[in-house]
Amino acid sequence: MLTYLLLIGAGLFCIGIFIVLSKRNAIQVLIGIELILNAAILNLVAFGKYDKLNNGGQTFALFAIVLAGAAAAVALAIILNVYKQYKTIDPNAVDKLKD
Amino acid sequence: MNPTLPHTDTLTIQLAIVAVLLPLAASLLNLVLVKSQSKVSGWLSSFAILGSMVLSVLVFAKVWNQPALHAQQLWFVVGTMQVDVGIWLNNLSVLMLLLVTAVALPVHVYSIAYLKGDDKYTRYFAYLSFFCFAMLALVIVDNLVLLYAFWELVGFASYLLIGFWFIREKAVLANKKAFIMNRIGDVALLTGILLLYADFHTFNLVTLFDNHATAAFIGTADNYWITLPGACFLIGAIAKSAQFPLHTWLPDAMEGPTSVSALIHAATMVAAGIFLLARVYVLFSPNVLMVMTIIGCFTAFMAATIALTQNDLKRILAYSTISQLGFMMMAMGVGAYSSALLHLAAHAFFKCLLFLSAGVIIHEMQHLKEKHNLDIDPQDINNMGGLGKYMPVTFITCIIASLALIGFPLTSGCLSKDGILVQAFLWADNKGGFYIIIPVMGVLTSLLTIFYISRLLFKVFLGKSRLKAVMPAWHIEAHDGSPLFKIPMIFLALCSLFPLFSTNPFEYEHSWIYRGFAIAVHTVSALDYHTIVLLSINVLVIPIAYFAYSIYVKQKFSFKTTSLLFKISFNEWYIDRFYHRIIVKDILRIGDLTKWLDKNVLDGTIHLFANTGVAIGKLTVWTDKYIIDGLITMLTLIIKQAGNFVRGFQTGRVQNYLFTMLLVIVVIYVLKTFI
Repeated sequence: MLTYLLLIGAGLFCIGIFIVLSKRNAIQVLIGIELILNAAILNLVAFGKYDKLNNGGQTFALFAIVLAGAAAAVALAIILNVYKQYKTIDPNAVDKLKD
Repeated sequence: MNPTLPHTDTLTIQLAIVAVLLPLAASLLNLVLVKSQSKVSGWLSSFAILGSMVLSVLVFAKVWNQPALHAQQLWFVVGTMQVDVGIWLNNLSVLMLLLVTAVALPVHVYSIAYLKGDDKYTRYFAYLSFFCFAMLALVIVDNLVLLYAFWELVGFASYLLIGFWFIREKAVLANKKAFIMNRIGDVALLTGILLLYADFHTFNLVTLFDNHATAAFIGTADNYWITLPGACFLIGAIAKSAQFPLHTWLPDAMEGPTSVSALIHAATMVAAGIFLLARVYVLFSPNVLMVMTIIGCFTAFMAATIALTQNDLKRILAYSTISQLGFMMMAMGVGAYSSALLHLAAHAFFKCLLFLSAGVIIHEMQHLKEKHNLDIDPQDINNMGGLGKYMPVTFITCIIASLALIGFPLTSGCLSKDGILVQAFLWADNKGGFYIIIPVMGVLTSLLTIFYISRLLFKVFLGKSRLKAVMPAWHIEAHDGSPLFKIPMIFLALCSLFPLFSTNPFEYEHSWIYRGFAIAVHTVSALDYHTIVLLSINVLVIPIAYFAYSIYVKQKFSFKTTSLLFKISFNEWYIDRFYHRIIVKDILRIGDLTKWLDKNVLDGTIHLFANTGVAIGKLTVWTDKYIIDGLITMLTLIIKQAGNFVRGFQTGRVQNYLFTMLLVIVVIYVLKTFI
């Protein structure tokens, strides 16, 4: 059972990584990040099986979900500001930091 | 100046110096200030020479038959050699001074008319004055260094004037030839001067020849080192006075203007050789004198035979000049020192006159030629004839000059030529044996002279005009030309008569020039020879002249132009051709060879060096460009590439950074797993 969950988690992670690396839209990149976070949360839930007494895994998952939501909000705010500044949300076009 | 000289003597010397410097001043003015083709130049030069002549007369009156004047000043010192500059006025120099100016003046006046309209009029007079300066200086300087310098300067002036019409190919060749042949003599003269210096440690003529001790020493010593410089001086004189074998430049020198031929190549410069012999006369040992006699005699005879058949008016006169110079040289050789100088003076006047007459004739022929568009040579006597009627003054002056040349009584030539021949006979008597051939050849030459000058006169002035025979329709209108032609000619004609030289027209011993130089070589009474010579020449004048008359005017008979003797004479004894074939050709070949060597070997070597240099240069350029520059370029390229490579990571693209990070982590994991 655990193996399947871990495999799904790994699959989600990979998909998330792929989306993060390949998409040309910051919103989609944010979605990829959410997928990676979800993969990690799924792993937390899956490994919660070894802590049935305190349900530590599940608790951490809830925390993580909340943090992910907050992070997503902050990221969206950043994206909005980026858009204001550059009139685009393509992460490749936003490369002023290199200089 | 020498302070010990009395006041009047200093004045005389100053006058002589001014006489020499006047033509130089005229020459410089003509070169620098006077506009080209300006009429001023002719008169300027003429007045300068007139001034020289007046001064020369004054100097002459002071010095002639008086003790010689000598003044000198230190010029420069090289080591122990001390060279002075000074003048030496004795009988010889003042005679030459007077003679040169007296001949130059009529030539100057004549030239004003003769060169009228020439586009190099001013330059002509500058050259002519320059020549007069050099010639006058030549006769009065007192040391051999200056003598040599002015000797060269007269040669140079002659070179300039022979090639005066330098656009003519022939004139250029002629002046080159004259220059080169004179160079041979000049080298000999310089050698002689240096040998003499080695012997006596002085260049001063007065110390050398006026000092009786030296003269006596030279006279007694039959020394190789005395003979040799004498021979060198003789060669110098041979070249300058156009004697065999260096005579061939003079006929060619006739390419210059006729007035120049009259002054330089008949009267003065060619006589400079004889003057030189007279200046250093005591130097000559008996052997050198013998050579001098033989060369003079042979040249006189040879040139006279050549003059018999030439057709060019000026060439005939040129060979006649050579012949007469031969006479002078022979006279010097047999010891007839004073007769040689007498002949020099007499010859200067009558030969100058002959040339000036020839100039007038050629001028008229040229005029006719241009007027009627004829294709003739204006100097060819075959085209002339019957001109006597139209040009009476020229005709008469020419007859007087010719009689003087022949040595007819009452002319100057009679005095001088008889003197030479009589003394030659006496000389041969003293020597005995075969030496009689020398005076006999002299007499024979005199007879030939009668013939060739008669031929010239008859062909030019008498008979029928050959031009008219060709074109009977037109009328000849030749004339004597302007008074500037006539007056100099009449002046010279008067100078060719006996009164100028002697009160007695038959006895050369009475001539003042003869007395001025009398060394009394032959004290024996020369009466017998006097009669013989006078008779043999003067009696034969009429038959020989008649013979010529019957050939050239009556045309009773003519010479075969195919006979050997005629050919030898006509081709000038083949001497020029001989020189051309034996010397000139080989020298040209050597010239070509050296040119080839120069072009191929010397230039080749240099080109090789040059090409090697260029090749090395190219190699260094290549090395520089591709190896040294290449290294640096490569370094910069590497650095640039590295920079570019490293810069590539710095894209500013968040996704790339993330990708890199992941890749590194994957690599670390992989490495950790397998190693």
